[in-house]
Order: sequence, then C-alpha cells, then structure tokens
Amino acid sequence: MEELILLDALGAGGPYHSRSRQTITELTGAPVAELSLVPRLFVQRTMAALREARTSPPHDRAAALARAGRLFATGTVNGIAAEEYQHIVSRVSGMPITVVRSATAGIGRRAGEAYRTTRHARPQGAVDDWRDPLTCDGHAVWTRRGDVFAVHAAGNHPGVHTLWLEALALGYRVAVRPSRREPFTPHRLITALRESGFGEDQVVLLPTDYAVADDIIRDADLAMVYGGEEVVNKYGNDVRVLPQGPGRSKILLTGDDWESHLGTIVDSVSAFGGTACVNTTAVFVEGDPAPVAEAVAERLAAIPSLPPEDDGAVLPVQPAEDARAIEKYLLDHVDGATPVLGGDGVVDELGDGSGVLRPAVFRVDRPDAPQTGIELSFPCVWFAPWSRADGIEPLRNTLVLTAITEDDGLIDRLVEDPSIRNVYLGDTPTYRMPAWVPHDAYLGEFLMRTKGVIRT
Amino acid sequence: MATEQILDCPLDQVPEGPEFIEAAMRWHFSPETGSPYWLERAKTLGFDPREEVRTFDDLRRFPNVANELRDVRVEDLIPRGYGPDAEVVGVYESGGTTGPPKRVVVLRDWLERLMHRTEQDLQARGYPESGHWLSLGPTGPHVFGELVRWQAARRGGIRFTVDMDPRWVKRCIAEGRAEEAERYAEHLIDQSAYILETQDVRVLVTTPPLLTRLARRNALVDLINAKIAAISWGGAHMDPDTRYLLRTEVFPGVKLYGTYGSTMILGGLGERVTSPDEDIVIFDTFSPYITFSVVDQETGEVVRYGDRGQVVMHHVSKSFLLPNNLERDLATRVAPPPGQMGDSVAEVGPLPTFDNEPVIEGVY
Repeated sequence: MEELILLDALGAGGPYHSRSRQTITELTGAPVAELSLVPRLFVQRTMAALREARTSPPHDRAAALARAGRLFATGTVNGIAAEEYQHIVSRVSGMPITVVRSATAGIGRRAGEAYRTTRHARPQGAVDDWRDPLTCDGHAVWTRRGDVFAVHAAGNHPGVHTLWLEALALGYRVAVRPSRREPFTPHRLITALRESGFGEDQVVLLPTDYAVADDIIRDADLAMVYGGEEVVNKYGNDVRVLPQGPGRSKILLTGDDWESHLGTIVDSVSAFGGTACVNTTAVFVEGDPAPVAEAVAERLAAIPSLPPEDDGAVLPVQPAEDARAIEKYLLDHVDGATPVLGGDGVVDELGDGSGVLRPAVFRVDRPDAPQTGIELSFPCVWFAPWSRADGIEPLRNTLVLTAITEDDGLIDRLVEDPSIRNVYLGDTPTYRMPAWVPHDAYLGEFLMRTKGVIRT
Repeated sequence: MATEQILDCPLDQVPEGPEFIEAAMRWHFSPETGSPYWLERAKTLGFDPREEVRTFDDLRRFPNVANELRDVRVEDLIPRGYGPDAEVVGVYESGGTTGPPKRVVVLRDWLERLMHRTEQDLQARGYPESGHWLSLGPTGPHVFGELVRWQAARRGGIRFTVDMDPRWVKRCIAEGRAEEAERYAEHLIDQSAYILETQDVRVLVTTPPLLTRLARRNALVDLINAKIAAISWGGAHMDPDTRYLLRTEVFPGVKLYGTYGSTMILGGLGERVTSPDEDIVIFDTFSPYITFSVVDQETGEVVRYGDRGQVVMHHVSKSFLLPNNLERDLATRVAPPPGQMGDSVAEVGPLPTFDNEPVIEGVY
C-alpha cells in the first residue's frame, strides 16, 4: 500500500477532511489509511442537521437500500473495488478473507431485505399508515419513537453494520460512529447509501475520539451501542440506549450422542474466526465433558495458521503484541481449569509482526465456574459438566443457546428465560442468523411504537 | 543603566534582553530590593543569580518553584524594593488542577505594562473601539475575568460577567458526576443568554468548551452574529477543526482570536495576526517579561522549530519572578518575531488522545 486511503468523515454537508486524523494500521503496523476525526462542534452541528432533515417515502428508501447493497457488495465505492475492500479489511482486522467476503455479500443482501425485515417486528394489530382504511374504525399505527438514531459501532465483524440498515428502512436518520479498529466497512456502506439515493442529511459517519462519542448519543433520539459488560453497565438504565452487550453464546448437550454434533460444535466455536458474539464460548455437557472437549480440540487443532488474506485462513490474526496481550489475559484467567488445547499459549507468530490466535479449549469442573463467562475474540471455548440438577442458571445471560436435548420441559424453561435471547434447538450452530429471526429481539421493537389513530 | 531605569522603562519601549535579565536578577536577589521569598530561596539555589544568570538561556538554571506558590504568604512575594507603598491590584490563583491553588500577586506597575501591550494587540486585531464586553469564564480568584475587566475598561466598555468556577467543574468530573458538570455548564449558558439578549455587548470572551456549547443554541448563535464583533477564546486549547468550523460556518462575520495565558505568567497573550488561509494559531510572547521555551519532554532540551514539545513559561518583571515553569501544554515551536527572546508557540494543546480500547475481553 503506497498511498494512504483517506477516510473522511461523512457529514451532513458532504465528506469532511479534518485536520485531526488517526492513522489506521494493518497487522504488521504499516499504515494503511488516515481516518478524519471530527470535534464536538462538528458532531453537534451534524446531529442538528439530521434532526432537521426530512425522511423520504418508504419505498424510495427500500429501493435505495437495495441499490446500495449491490454497490457495497460488488461495486467500486470511493475508488475502491469490492475485492480490494475485502483485502484491506482482512489485513486490518485480521479476519479471514473468506469471512470478510461472506460478510460483504451478507451486508449487500441484508440491505436489500432491510425494509422487508422490519415488517417482522410490526405488531399484528398495527398498520403502517394512518391512511389505511382500518384506521376509520380506530386502529394502531406503527410509528417511530424518534427521528435520529445513533450507533456506536463495533469492529469485530463487518456484519454489525447490517442491523442499523433497518433503522434507515424505518425512516430514521442515522449517525454511525465507526470503530477505530475497522472504519472501512461503515465508510463504504454509507458512501454507497449516499450514491444510491440517501441524502447526506440522512446517514452520516462521525469518527470521533472517545471524549466526544457520548455527544452523538446525547443528540440522538435513540441509540445502539456495542460493547462488553462496561457498556451494558453504563447504558443499561438509559431507556434511549440499546446496548449490544457480550454474546456468551453457549451449547447445551444432553444425551449420549455427541459424536454426531461434533461438527456443529466446532463450527459454532470457530466460524467467523471466533470473533462474533454468536460464536460459542461455553459448552455444557450432560455427563463427562472430557471426551467431547478432546474431540473438539482435535478438530480445532488441525486448523492451519495462515495469514488472513489466504483463502484457506480460518483463524483470526492480530498484531503480535495485541495477540500476546490476549494470550496473557487468557492464561491469567485459567485459574484451575484443565487445558485441553492452548494451555501453554495460543499465539502463532507469522514472522511479519503479526500472530495467529490459535484455538483454545479448556475444561472446568463445575457448571457455574466463572470461566464459562469469558468471551474472547478468537476460538476459545470452555467445557463444563452439567446435570439436570444444576438447572438453567449456568445457561443464563446468553445471546444464543443451542440446546441439543429432547427434554421439552427444559426447553420450556430456556425459551421462557428472559436472559437467554435466542434458543436454537437440535443440530443448529449458534452462529446461524437468518434475516427473519431476531438477533437480540427485533430492532424494530426498540425503534417503533404503536399509536392509536381513529378517524371519524 | 541603573537597575530601576531598565525595569521601569517607558511602557512603549522594550528593554534589551541581556541587560534586562541582569537588571532583574540584581533587583530580585539584592537584600534591599528582592522579595522575602526569593531572598530566602536563593540560599538553596547553589548559584548566585546576580553573577550567573545573564541571558535568557540562563533562566533554565532555576528550579521550577511554581509548586512553592501554594504555600508562600503573598506578602513575601512582593519585592522589598517597592517599599511600603507597593500597590497590590489583586491576588490571583491557579485553577487547582494539580492540587491546592498556586497564588501570585499583581502589582500596579505590571498591570499598566500588560494593559498597554494588550491594547496594542487589540488595536492590531481590529477589536471594536467601544462597546461592552461579556466574560463567560472564570472570575473569583482567577486572573481570566480580571484581565477582561481591565481590557474592557481601557477601551471604554463595561465588562459583564458570568462566573464560572473551574475547580467545581473539575471536581464534578473527577468524582464521576459528569451530569452535574453538564447542568452547571448549561446554567452558565442560560446566564450569558440573559446578557446577550438585553445588553449591547460587542466583545465575547470565553473558553472553547463554552463557545462550543453556545453554538448548540441557534438563537444564541444568531444573537452573537448580530451583536458581537470579536470573540476572544482562552483558558483551554481549541482544536483546528473546531476553529475552522467556528470561523467559516458558525460565526462567519465575527473576528475570532485566541489568547494563551496563565495565572503563573500574570497575563495572557493574543494570537498572532496571520492571513485567514494559514489556518494556524501562533502565540508570540511579551518578551522580555513573559517568554516561552519549547522543550523535549524526555530530555528537557529545546526542540527544533516546527517540532512539538512541552511549554516552559518564564515571567520576569520588576514585580514578579517565576522562571522555568514547566506547563503541561504541548506546542509546536515557532520562530519568534525579530528581537524577541525565546520561542513563539503554535497548536497549543494536550497530547492527542484516542479511544485506545484497552479492553481485551469481549468480541466488540
């Protein structure tokens, strides 16, 4: 990369090349891009412009979203072809290129579906427009809770940028604060949206430093914030903010037949390089978890260490120093767990300043061991014994729980538990996310409300 | 020339650097004229300033005694040479960011000198010849609001003021009560609105964070554009992007000038007048009285022109001596105008800070 890519802020008045910029480096530390950082004043003026803007009609939005999706996934945006974009994201984030490719296609597809997807969230009793004949008798109309939606995005996987497309589809004006780790995806997506019909005052990209980030939320009506426990703690009580907290996805395996589910477990741990919130981080086994853990470890151990841009790459890569820090964190938290794979370290240095994070498998001796709550951004899984006497407590606080069980009573309790946000049954990997299945409830439930309308 | 002739030279003259430094050392370290504080402190310096401090560079030999100003009796800071008639204009204190406040005494003759210089600066920047001033910033023990009062009075205006207690704001933030700081700041903006709406204010003096806050209210932006001829900002750094937006979009018809000052140098300095497309804020010093050095954070050596370093401030006048005070600001070292001692500074501000996301656990 001879010339740095310039990632401007995308404000309500067009791209803004700021004086304050941050260098984005790839895995070896080589600079790849410069990201414009905007000050508080720019943020507040942009948010005010979003508030004053008018939303275009629903079908125009749906059509523009579909066009933008195609452009994002296959076209040249900001002078960068799709393949080049994928290569950059892979080299910057360390995510396997095949994961980036499928994420690119996924974003393109989800943009096209965004408008239709929002329909799943609409209450059955509601209509979309006060003009609907049903309101003559009195009816619920589905309306926005606000006009401006802010997103503090994450950089762990390009796919985090599919969800807020639904807000655009619903007529919100959207402000995205990109992750410092990977601003390329939202920059490309928002540029594509603007080239496809969305006005500059409809969707904006506001890269800022930490101190200003909260202003974006303050000046929005509603916001969605990605982060770990600390984000949930910070915003948990703010009804305007939807935290997208840790995933801690789990698998529960009952009965004797674990061999036929081995592939699902391995895939659930390692898909997307293990970087997503829907990756399995704990497996609870009725009976002895040791043979299952060993079989999973054996499969995971066979995955080769490759640079992320290699078509065969499966594992995530980080700058060696960052990878070592993650490794140290892991080893500092083993705390009596039995290592099955990766007990003496997980970093495999590639010699160019970067290191592959190889899978880790550990066994703990009881289902409530605190390690089962540790979620790291590479394939890392904790196996725990479980019996019906332990109940569902160890399975709680979970984004996706795959339960491989025939026990309908148990399934009832899992489905009823509010802290388990998705229950998948049978041989279903935790990472499966069809557009019509809510990820963490439908976003529409947060963005919309019903309003009574009676025409007399 | 006699010591006092040099130190008391007419307001419109500038003494020669080395001659001035030597005279100041004679004054501050002679038993008859020096302050009790410096005469006592001189015993532990390990050198005799009257013999060994002769040039601007020699000022760096002094230890940084700024911290001692937290405890010194203010009477002990007044040079004995003034006799019993030293006219104290006021005692001013630092913001207390780094502990208990530091305290300085401002004497009448220094004020006259500073105000003469400031008035020249205001003239050069085209500030309105008359009209009132609004100071939205620290008053109380801080020199910020007082400087505005004196400037306004010199130009025939009244200073309106909205009081801001920076120590309370810092305490709120340090204790995690950001919401309280937020409410307090909005309260200050409400107070300024009353003045802007009802009074003939022509000059606004405030800090960059408060100016950004003012800009959040469209009605106030309109009022300022209609009434205010010049905005002085100071007390905190202004990043170049904010400055650009303020000048081009928010207050396009208003003169916008920065000041860089500190209670510890007993004053503030106006931004150098440059052409608008230079897009840079440079502060020249009030040499030989207020001077700067820009030094490497590690070695303490002066950096090259154009490089960034930490700002060292010096105040040397008849009324007060505080050399070699290392401030926490970073700045780009700029060549001074001809005849000035030390450095000019540009792009003053804290180290750029980014969201370093040290969190390891989690996937986001």
